[in-house]
Amino acid sequence: MNWFLFSTKEWRRRPLRTAITAAGVAIAVAAVFSLLMFQDGYRQGLSREIDRLGAHILVVPKGCPYDAASIALHGANWPCYLNSAYLAEISRSVGVLSAAPALMAAFNNAQGAATVYVGIDDRMLALKPGWRIDGSFPHGSGEILAGAEVARRHAWKVGGRVALPEIPGRRATVAGILQPTQGADDTFIYTRLEDAQQWFQHRGELTHILVRLRDANLLEPTVLALRGCTAGMDMNIVPLAHLFHTIQGLMNSTRVLLGCIALIGLLIAGTGVSNAVLMSVTERGREIGILRALGASRVQVFGLIWLETIQVCVAGGVAGVLLAFFSSHAIESWLRTRLPFAPTDSFLCWSWSWAVISVAGAAILGVVAALLPAARAAELAPLEAIREGATP
Amino acid sequence: MSQPASAISAEGLTKTFQRGREEVVALDRVSIEIRRGEFVAITGPSGAGKTTLLSLLGCMDTPTSGTLRVAGQEVQSLNERGRTRLRREKIGFVFQHFGLIPTLTVAENIALPALFSGRNGKTRLDELLECVDLQHRCHHRPHQLSGGEMQRVAIARALANDPQLVLADEPTGNLDTKIGNSIIGLLQKLNRHGVTIVVVTHNAVLADAAQRQIALVDGRLK
Repeated sequence: MNWFLFSTKEWRRRPLRTAITAAGVAIAVAAVFSLLMFQDGYRQGLSREIDRLGAHILVVPKGCPYDAASIALHGANWPCYLNSAYLAEISRSVGVLSAAPALMAAFNNAQGAATVYVGIDDRMLALKPGWRIDGSFPHGSGEILAGAEVARRHAWKVGGRVALPEIPGRRATVAGILQPTQGADDTFIYTRLEDAQQWFQHRGELTHILVRLRDANLLEPTVLALRGCTAGMDMNIVPLAHLFHTIQGLMNSTRVLLGCIALIGLLIAGTGVSNAVLMSVTERGREIGILRALGASRVQVFGLIWLETIQVCVAGGVAGVLLAFFSSHAIESWLRTRLPFAPTDSFLCWSWSWAVISVAGAAILGVVAALLPAARAAELAPLEAIREGATP
Repeated sequence: MSQPASAISAEGLTKTFQRGREEVVALDRVSIEIRRGEFVAITGPSGAGKTTLLSLLGCMDTPTSGTLRVAGQEVQSLNERGRTRLRREKIGFVFQHFGLIPTLTVAENIALPALFSGRNGKTRLDELLECVDLQHRCHHRPHQLSGGEMQRVAIARALANDPQLVLADEPTGNLDTKIGNSIIGLLQKLNRHGVTIVVVTHNAVLADAAQRQIALVDGRLK
């Protein structure tokens, strides 16, 4: 037998109490670990989402730029539109390599599922070097490029003639199908800009323009130039890097709040652990006295109680990490309904390093929580052993 | 280095306790000498100071005055760590209520003193189990044992670190006569193998089995 084994045996004495104590730690660690997963996952998801747009600047109609950015990223109906004529002025601006126009329209069916159409032209291809198309980009009238998920859902094949969902009586030819991008593009139906303007009766109008710069360092002068141009009064110039930082900033304050709550949870769990171990030490006073009588030093008794507590906390920590992992899907779904801006990708990102840090944090919690009960146990006199007491 | 002939040597041992404003004299100038290899029974009525004397001899408490030498070491000069080391290396304890750890098996209970002294508890395990005739019970937990078996485990545990001295507090107190007699036989067997044994007892049979009796009354030697 060794000290580790000896301390694990103590768990069996009061399995329910041990389980409840460990569960308290598990819940607190699950909260902390979920927050850490969210911290990384949200930043990476947002960054990937913006990268997938392939643009440095998003030009949208006047209004809330964050709402507009969210609509452009995830697909929805736009409350107002840009004049197509602005496109030429934007394209001529200093630093602009390419400006890709888009007209987006979204329809929700009775089940709440959205069908999103995006009218584009081949300038969009310059912004989406990652796109892999089975078939071709739609060049002819009545052709579409279907996102991978849409094509899968409707069982569309390249070259097929299909009825367009949510547009009664309208049919189109599937010129190409996008290979999966793992982003919102998979759920969009792309068509020629002219066709979209005709189908949705927005001739001469756009919902947004994606702008790619010759050099990312030209962001500030280009933004200033676009805001100062004639059309600048009618449109919002949204630098996506700023958008990233602004959304991150907004989320940071939420994270700080959640972090404080998780920290309070950890403190409560630590107090619970300390209390449970203190109870255990009180109940085992005579037994600890026997250990001292048999030759256990104060340090050894202190270490034994310490080890027991750390083991319970580490077990709780591991359970907490697993709990967070297995409930991450449900947590993410819930968060999506609450967050003003949620990336399409999963934003609870599993990380071994955070998992190890979380379990290590639980161990540290155990180290601190055990201090008082372990000190109490170490102070117990061996004389307790030979006084009257219960049978083992 | 030669071993001291005396296992225990106490001179004018006094122990007082404070009970409220009253000072209680539990032991009053007790002087005893127990030689190595002796089997001694400390007897006396309840409240005579037997357990207090045993706790002093076992270095679990310090005398208020007087001198005490256990296994050649002057107990008063030892600090808490020194007394712990003395208990661990030189003394084995047997308790009336057995004092087994309920979460550990028989083998693990017996190995505890070895764990405390950093030794390999398995080395003497078979020998100790055989000594108390409990090889077949080594994986059982205390609640699966009879009272006699539990006390035999406690005796094996007391011997784990090969002590010079075994102190037993009412070792037959919780056992019926037949099983108590078997424990007395076991203690006699250990004594024949050279272990110094000091028991505190009310049991006349056990006291008679000892080579010498020390009787206490009101904290004094009778």
